[in-house]
Amino acid sequence: MDIVAMHIPDGYLGPQTYIVFWLVMLPIWFVAARKVKRTLKSRQIPLLALGAAFAFIIMMFNVPVVGGSTGHAVGATLIAIILGPWAAVIAVSIALAIQCGLFGDGGITAFGANCFNMAVVIPFVGYYLYRLLCGDAPSSSRRTLSAGVAAYIAIVAGAICAGFEFGIQPYIAHAANGQALYAPYKLGVAVPAMALEHMLFFGWVEAFATAGVVAVLQRTEPTLLEAKPAARSMRWLWGAIGVLILLTPIGVLAPGTAWGEWGPDQIAQRIGYVPSGFEKLGSLWKAAMPDYATPGVSNAMIGYLIAAVVGTLLVVGVTWGVGALLARRRSGETSGRTSPPPAPAE
Amino acid sequence: MSAPCPCCEVEVAPVRRRGRGRSLARRTADSLARSITDVLENEEIAARPGLLQRIDPRIKLITLLLFAVTVSLVHSLWVLLALIALTCVFAALSRVGVAAFARKVWLSAGLLAFLIAVPSALAWFTPGEAAFTLGPLTFTEPGLLGVATLVARVAAAAGFALLVVWTMRWSDLLRALSALRMPDVVVATLGMAQKQILTLLRTVEQIHLARESRTLTLGTTKENRDWVTERMAFVLRKSMKTADDVYDAMLARGYTGSMPSLRRLRVGAADWAWLATSVTICAVTLAASRMAGA
Repeated sequence: MDIVAMHIPDGYLGPQTYIVFWLVMLPIWFVAARKVKRTLKSRQIPLLALGAAFAFIIMMFNVPVVGGSTGHAVGATLIAIILGPWAAVIAVSIALAIQCGLFGDGGITAFGANCFNMAVVIPFVGYYLYRLLCGDAPSSSRRTLSAGVAAYIAIVAGAICAGFEFGIQPYIAHAANGQALYAPYKLGVAVPAMALEHMLFFGWVEAFATAGVVAVLQRTEPTLLEAKPAARSMRWLWGAIGVLILLTPIGVLAPGTAWGEWGPDQIAQRIGYVPSGFEKLGSLWKAAMPDYATPGVSNAMIGYLIAAVVGTLLVVGVTWGVGALLARRRSGETSGRTSPPPAPAE
Repeated sequence: MSAPCPCCEVEVAPVRRRGRGRSLARRTADSLARSITDVLENEEIAARPGLLQRIDPRIKLITLLLFAVTVSLVHSLWVLLALIALTCVFAALSRVGVAAFARKVWLSAGLLAFLIAVPSALAWFTPGEAAFTLGPLTFTEPGLLGVATLVARVAAAAGFALLVVWTMRWSDLLRALSALRMPDVVVATLGMAQKQILTLLRTVEQIHLARESRTLTLGTTKENRDWVTERMAFVLRKSMKTADDVYDAMLARGYTGSMPSLRRLRVGAADWAWLATSVTICAVTLAASRMAGA
């Protein structure tokens, strides 16, 4: 099993890390349970149990990659595609709990971190990438390719998280003589090692398994691949954007200028002169709202807030316009393709 | 060496049944069979009349978690070695084969930790006073001490985790979780998932054995991969269908959303004594670790 790569055993993470991951996972499990209960109702127990059983079993298959070598897939992206990302959080967490409690795979104290890497990062990254790459009306080959690419990137993302968790240990806890107390490799070694291992081998196992199963399901059970409720609701995104807009005046409180965004006077202060090219090109374009200030508004906070609203509306408007243009073009292509099938050969 | 197939006279290379070069189906079937055997052996060990098997599941779960946390807080190598010895004592008193226990802890967890950590003892990763040199490689004292500490910590933690796995029936673990206020939905899902895992493990093992019995040659990588993903999709479809069947069965038996347990757990004097002893051991361990570090 992919133990070395992803299942973190006890002893590798210090209490400062594993306690944080337990605290991070508790609200995630709570939200996931509520969402799943709302969508699956009382059917949730058998569906999640079988989802967890499948998550466990898929890790037992030997997937051939190249030259006779085989590996085990985690399958979390596949489960997110089938059940939705929130149900995948619960199903993969339960599969990990059974691996830990029944087979001793993965640590008890590290259970929170393992769930974060494999039951949160992989399903969410994989699911939303898959939906993004698939689009609204995917062809079967695009769906298969999207599933493979999403699974590959998602497992690499999970591995990078695990590498980060290992890599921060030497900074958090070490003896006075430099002796490591937990995982011994720093970020510069742990993150590339985990990322490379998954980019070169386990990522391909995951991609082949996920794409292969999605290809088979398209032929045999395409209803399982329909979009899950989590993909449809965008209300939370609008709420989050609203909160971020309201928080933008905090930027006014920060002293100084962001590194590298200096104006001519600040450049002169730092290096003693203003480069001629900088001076010439710097005055080419006059912004409508320089330094996020609104012309005619004296209060900096209110001016900043107005700039945030205008900026957001511009970005959303342009994106919306481009999206609508692309959607119209695609629907034109689709209607052009729906010609009657050729008559069968006699 | 190739031989003609008896039914079709096609020249085929024999498929190896043992050792390296076994077919994909045989390797997977073997590992699935091992998993099923592990579960059955765990249940058999959990039924033996040993020290830990007699303890109330809730108290046992709490105390073994306490030991796992204590292991993560200890910084002294010697104290960690003492905790490893303690796991062996607990294993012996619980009638767990100490040799099998040590083999599992040291070979699966300790050796793996050693192999992962040993390059960190090089001066390149952990600077410090040189302990010895091996050609161009210099191993430092703090580096080697770090490797030893990590291996000892992983082995001690794996020992306590294995004691939970080996001395507690899965049904008792679920009962303990339920008594410790874990939501009913989670406990019920865990219980159902474990039963379905065993069923699916057998199904998948049989699928692989069926393939093995009909295999004349080791297929190409692509053929094998296509076969594996087809089987994965089959297991997924079967899982979804079984979920519907199980739900119908639950409704037919009068499922209303609650999951009452008939067996009541009782904490006796021996359980309280075990809890007090465990808390004392953990406190003494932490104090000893602090003194060793001072």
